[in-house]
Amino acid sequence: MNKIKDLFKVRWMSSLVFLLLLFLITGIADHNFLTYSNIINCFNTATMYTLLAIGIAFVIMTGEIDVSIGATLGLTAAMTGLIAQSGGSIGKMLLICVAVGAAVGVFNGVGVAFFGVPSLIFTLGTNGLIRGLIYIVTDGRTVENFGGPIAYYGNKELFAQITLYYALTILLVAIAHVLLTRTRKGKYFIAVGDNPGGANLVGISVFRTKLIAYILCGVFAGIAGYVFASKYRQVMTVAGNGYEMTAIAACVLGGISLSGGLGNMVGAAIGAVIMSSISRLLVFIGLPSDYNNTITGIMLIVIVVVDSLTQRRSIEMSRRKRLLSRTAPGAAKGGDEA
Amino acid sequence: MKALKKLFRRWEFFLVIFLVLEFVVFGSANPKFLRVNSIMTSIVNYISVCIISLFVTLVMITGGIDIQAASIIGLTSIIEGVLWSDAGLNIWVAVVIAIVAAAVCGALSGFFVAYCGVQPMVVTLGGSFLYSGLALLISGMSATPAYQGISGFPAKEGKTFVDFRFLGKGELLGIPMQIWIYLVLIVLCVWILHRTKYGERLYLIGVNQQAAEYSGINTRLVIMSTYVLSAVSAALAGTLLTSNMNSAKYNHGSGYTLAIITAVVLGGTLNTGGKGSILGTVLASLIICILRYGLPLCFGVSTQNLDLPVGIILVLVVLGREIAGQHMISSLFKKRGSAR
Repeated sequence: MNKIKDLFKVRWMSSLVFLLLLFLITGIADHNFLTYSNIINCFNTATMYTLLAIGIAFVIMTGEIDVSIGATLGLTAAMTGLIAQSGGSIGKMLLICVAVGAAVGVFNGVGVAFFGVPSLIFTLGTNGLIRGLIYIVTDGRTVENFGGPIAYYGNKELFAQITLYYALTILLVAIAHVLLTRTRKGKYFIAVGDNPGGANLVGISVFRTKLIAYILCGVFAGIAGYVFASKYRQVMTVAGNGYEMTAIAACVLGGISLSGGLGNMVGAAIGAVIMSSISRLLVFIGLPSDYNNTITGIMLIVIVVVDSLTQRRSIEMSRRKRLLSRTAPGAAKGGDEA
Repeated sequence: MKALKKLFRRWEFFLVIFLVLEFVVFGSANPKFLRVNSIMTSIVNYISVCIISLFVTLVMITGGIDIQAASIIGLTSIIEGVLWSDAGLNIWVAVVIAIVAAAVCGALSGFFVAYCGVQPMVVTLGGSFLYSGLALLISGMSATPAYQGISGFPAKEGKTFVDFRFLGKGELLGIPMQIWIYLVLIVLCVWILHRTKYGERLYLIGVNQQAAEYSGINTRLVIMSTYVLSAVSAALAGTLLTSNMNSAKYNHGSGYTLAIITAVVLGGTLNTGGKGSILGTVLASLIICILRYGLPLCFGVSTQNLDLPVGIILVLVVLGREIAGQHMISSLFKKRGSAR
């Protein structure tokens, strides 16, 4: 029993339960939904958002924010498309995507962590900068009509209807999760987000940690850009506009606190699945896709409000418990020890 | 001398210089730039951002942030359109209802921020999804297809605009109505922020909410009210946009979120709260507005590619300010050290 209770204390567990509930409700509304391929499709379509969400999760955990990832995705997608048009190899595309993403990350990281500019403002500027670069790179035209191997891999299924890209993404999520929870350096991210001053005192370089977080965020956004190009085979200049907000929402749904120092990668990945499958679920429930944003908004607000209220309640409860144990007769000694 | 030094240190001073520089550079590059009418038109085109950023400044001074205002533009626009064309209400009644609806939206988000303690960025992010979604749903109630937009608002008599369209198209003493409204709002905001007790409380809450609470301020109510104010200003902007473009659409203003935040931040308002001024926000929004008007006209920059210069300026400005600030602090320490 205790073990089950502990399991529910894991923050991403509640988002998983929420996702399953969503599937169940949709299944009750329309029995046709509950087939293997429908559910696996929900996961497959989440590939891009999952990549963006785990990238930005690193940054959010250190207590900062990055609103330039949508633009980074657009830029790398456009570059991938241009390389594909000129017949470049996939290795070259991935290399460029990762390099561009990392460069954006270094830029953001230095601005935010070294110069101490508030992250929202700085990445906002980067966002405009990269959006402009997209126009320069593409001449303001839509990049399309590219085929070759990249188009072949776009919807390639690996096994049991799981696409190659989603399988690789899951692998990345697993690696990120292990890095974050099992390695020494990985734990720095949460430590810095939780208490930057304290982290500094015990010898963790806040600057370096934040810089690495931004670089990882940029790299993941770059890879997401590659996936975008490969999947849609058409990159408009406004590609990725607003994706940053969806990725942030995914993180919040996955139980990552925007003030930093709380959350994990699995939660972010589940949150991304929730965000991207809403439109699909609505079709089965029988609502037009017009309801998409409304439902997303209501869900987001309800979840964060409930989360914050329960947290406050649990803090008050523990406070009261401490008070009671101190004032209870005969417990004075125990209270002192505690 | 000391007063002069103080003036130089003020952020607004740099903004004024920047604005003047813009006029000099653009004006010398292309004399057409200096035509008053086109400058006013460029401000009118950017009026939504100008108006909303005024009130988002108030939100950010308390340490919050509002990224839902842009979605409220579309919401009010479509409410006005549907109530007027499909429900057959008088347009002014529709406007009042739309503004009240926006105030309710702002109050809802403000309530969650102030009374439930949820981070403002998350709540208003949810709000931006919710309100833009509601706008789309409401546009579905209309007989007009959503992508087309409801048009044909009253009224035009000959060549002059009267009634509702006067708001967006009319002129008073040769200056567009929208700019008059903007000026009135600036005065109102300056008065609220710098001349009333309410404004003082905003700063106090931004500096230290707990201290403000202990000194007897109802901080929660004050914080909530700032979100209501910014939502109402967004409703106003939505009304002006509807009147100016003669069309009510659910996605009006959908791309303005980052522009609004940029204007506020460039104006010197700290997003951690406690610092900022209306004058700075006004100057910053004018700088961006003139930049967006001048660059295509004088240097042939594509109108699609205006994000780049704005982004560069934002990055350079905040970096420069941060470096200058650090330099000032370090020189302060040096002075103290040498005195010992």
